[in-house]
Amino acid sequence: MNTSTAAQAMPQSWLAALWKDADMLVRFALIAGLVLVGATLLAPWLSPFGPDQQSLLSRLRPPYGFEGAVAGHWLGTDELGRDILSRVLHALRVTLGIGLAGAFIGMMLGTALGILAGLRGGRLDDLIAGAIDIQIAVPFTLIALLAVAILGGDLVVLIAVLGVAGWETFARVVRGEVMKLRHQPFIEAAHVAGASRWRIAFRHLLPSLVSPLVVMFALSFSQIVLLESTLSFLGLGIRPPTASLGSMIGQGRDYMPSAPWLVIVPSLLILLLTLVVQLLGDFLRDRADIRLQHR
Amino acid sequence: MKKLMLSAVIAATLGAQPALAQELQVGVQNMNNYLDPGSDHSNAGSQFYYNSFDTLIDRDHAGSGDFVPGLATSWEIITPQMIEFTLRDNVQFHDGSRMTAEDVVFSLNRMFSPTYPPYLVRKRDRLDNFTRAEATKEGKVRVYTARPEPIFETLLSMQQTMIVPKDYLMGLSGHPQVDEVSDYEAFGLAPVGTGPYRITEFVPGERLVYERFGDFWGKAAPYERVTMRRIPETVSRITALRSGEVDLITNLAPDQLSLIDKEPSLKTAGSVTPLFHVMIMNENHPELKDPRIRRALSLAIDRDLLNKGLWLGMAEVPSTHTMPEFGELYMPELETFRYDPEEAKRLLKEAGYDGAEITYDTASAYYTNGLLAAQAIMEMWNAVGVNGTINVIESSTTCDPKLMTRNWSNPMYFADPFGSFGVMWGPGGPSESCGRFNTDEAYLDSWDRFRFSETVEVRRTAYAELMAHIERNPPVLPLYRPYEAWGMRADMDWKPLPSHIPYVLDFRAGRVTPASN
Repeated sequence: MNTSTAAQAMPQSWLAALWKDADMLVRFALIAGLVLVGATLLAPWLSPFGPDQQSLLSRLRPPYGFEGAVAGHWLGTDELGRDILSRVLHALRVTLGIGLAGAFIGMMLGTALGILAGLRGGRLDDLIAGAIDIQIAVPFTLIALLAVAILGGDLVVLIAVLGVAGWETFARVVRGEVMKLRHQPFIEAAHVAGASRWRIAFRHLLPSLVSPLVVMFALSFSQIVLLESTLSFLGLGIRPPTASLGSMIGQGRDYMPSAPWLVIVPSLLILLLTLVVQLLGDFLRDRADIRLQHR
Repeated sequence: MKKLMLSAVIAATLGAQPALAQELQVGVQNMNNYLDPGSDHSNAGSQFYYNSFDTLIDRDHAGSGDFVPGLATSWEIITPQMIEFTLRDNVQFHDGSRMTAEDVVFSLNRMFSPTYPPYLVRKRDRLDNFTRAEATKEGKVRVYTARPEPIFETLLSMQQTMIVPKDYLMGLSGHPQVDEVSDYEAFGLAPVGTGPYRITEFVPGERLVYERFGDFWGKAAPYERVTMRRIPETVSRITALRSGEVDLITNLAPDQLSLIDKEPSLKTAGSVTPLFHVMIMNENHPELKDPRIRRALSLAIDRDLLNKGLWLGMAEVPSTHTMPEFGELYMPELETFRYDPEEAKRLLKEAGYDGAEITYDTASAYYTNGLLAAQAIMEMWNAVGVNGTINVIESSTTCDPKLMTRNWSNPMYFADPFGSFGVMWGPGGPSESCGRFNTDEAYLDSWDRFRFSETVEVRRTAYAELMAHIERNPPVLPLYRPYEAWGMRADMDWKPLPSHIPYVLDFRAGRVTPASN
């Protein structure tokens, strides 16, 4: 087999193996995940209208099939006559982006601090462990509310604030793992061979942390999506007219009795999004965990 | 015996019903953090004062709306600069003390010569002509003005001239014989008046409880107890009403009315409110100094579309800052504000607008449809090339020098252009005091004739001049007179009364018919 044939065969076999290992639920999650990501990437082309395009004389029209529906607005219109389908497609982009960026920031921060604390020990470890305990003790929703209220609901601020959410979970688990691993023979052998701390951290420790990090990333992503939704619901998230799934629910809540589709559509998407990420996270954890593979 | 006992139980139950009926639970959208009729002129505060406080001159709110005796049994304008009041006997404050001429003089002078900073703006914006109040030897009270006052009764029947107890207020903190700032601040949390309901509990921004005041000088209040609870979300208020948790709710938008009206046990009442929802623009913000930019922002807004879309056509869009309630000074023939997107584009180009961000501040739920209107306005601005963004902020930014534009309201505090436009845009008023509106000599000259002339034609001409100034150099755009509605149990009867200032929840005798149970 030449090199190019191998390169073509590898993704096929990887995907095929992934699909073969997956149960029905995970297969559903894989398909749903691909659809969600596809919809996110293609939102500008899939949307029949601009996400903020208003039609004040066609407000609160129900989805297709219900009495009073307007042609072209498949999922109905909102309180300003904006097309719900176009809006949720763009909102999904924002929510997914915030969730991924937030979870990534949290993971990087938490992993770095966890490795630092686990490897260095001493006062630095005490300091980081203390910070972890403090963050665990204080409900993060309160911190986020305060931070967004003071700094404003700018997208960058929101991502930064949400990124800080969950760093302590990463740091706590990574610190524990590193403390456990640092006395393992392969780490001590690396020490004896003269490997630097950084080399040990990146070459020897990080690969062993992939499995818990994947699970925590999935958990953190779901939490951030829900936290962003909470902040937006409370009016502290994304500034209108930009929509996230949470802000759509927040702005639609006043119309729940008369126009429930304003809330149902984005709520179902949040449910689907978090479910997909959780299922895939669990699945990938099982695949990445060597111990589980040998059972 | 059993029959006798059963009858007794039924009789007791039936007997208890009127007491139950005397409770009223109200879900309000907004509630302030203080209750002081002197300093407050907010729409949120206006809801609450009339139940607990009186003025010297009242109005026949259930009837003609004419002036009627309040805490004064009669009054006489002795000279164009002095009015004399004969006070009502046997009036008691809620703290048990008896109202005296000294209390009346203190209450009025605290507004005419204020030492408490929040009263200064109220003095400047509506009571500037008043110099002092003093008691005569006969126990009457005389009020003096600097210049002949054409609308004595109107101004002395305003919420800001409600009477408060001197000794109680001064004794709230510090020296009991001195009115200190801390006394006024404490009074705002524990207010005492002479009205038919005394305030027995006030949790700032959350809850207000009134109880019937047994020693009220007038007709007894129909409710034994009224509880006002803040429920900011519309849907939560509607749910509370539908579940029977509250009997009456405030601030319903027209598109929510059918939800309530379709239920046989509920109903709505509403009216076009004597108030404008307005957009204000900071003349002194560097990006908005050029009046052509502000004119463009105003011309770009299709207010008729806002009315049709957001208010289902039930609001009223004015051509100028005027209302039919102004009587002879109602001037709909003026066209100060209009929709002309092409002219807006032209002005922006001429002014060299460079696409700078123009922010529009709004609270999320203070004004009915406020946030929706803000978003619609951004779309309209965008259509003419304005880079507008919404800044959702719960605190008031009307005095923030960084303010560019925002929503606000111009209520009709009394039925005269002075009571609506004048209070907000007069010299020294809240707009000029906050540094976002400027007056010049020509404006002041027109203002003087408008404010003090006793000739209607002179006032009309001067008002037209003021409107021409506003058109050339706009600090404000009245969007519409909103249609405000209240939801309630079908078996009670209450409606907003046109002679009140906007939003007053009047639960005095004859103004509300309690539910039967």
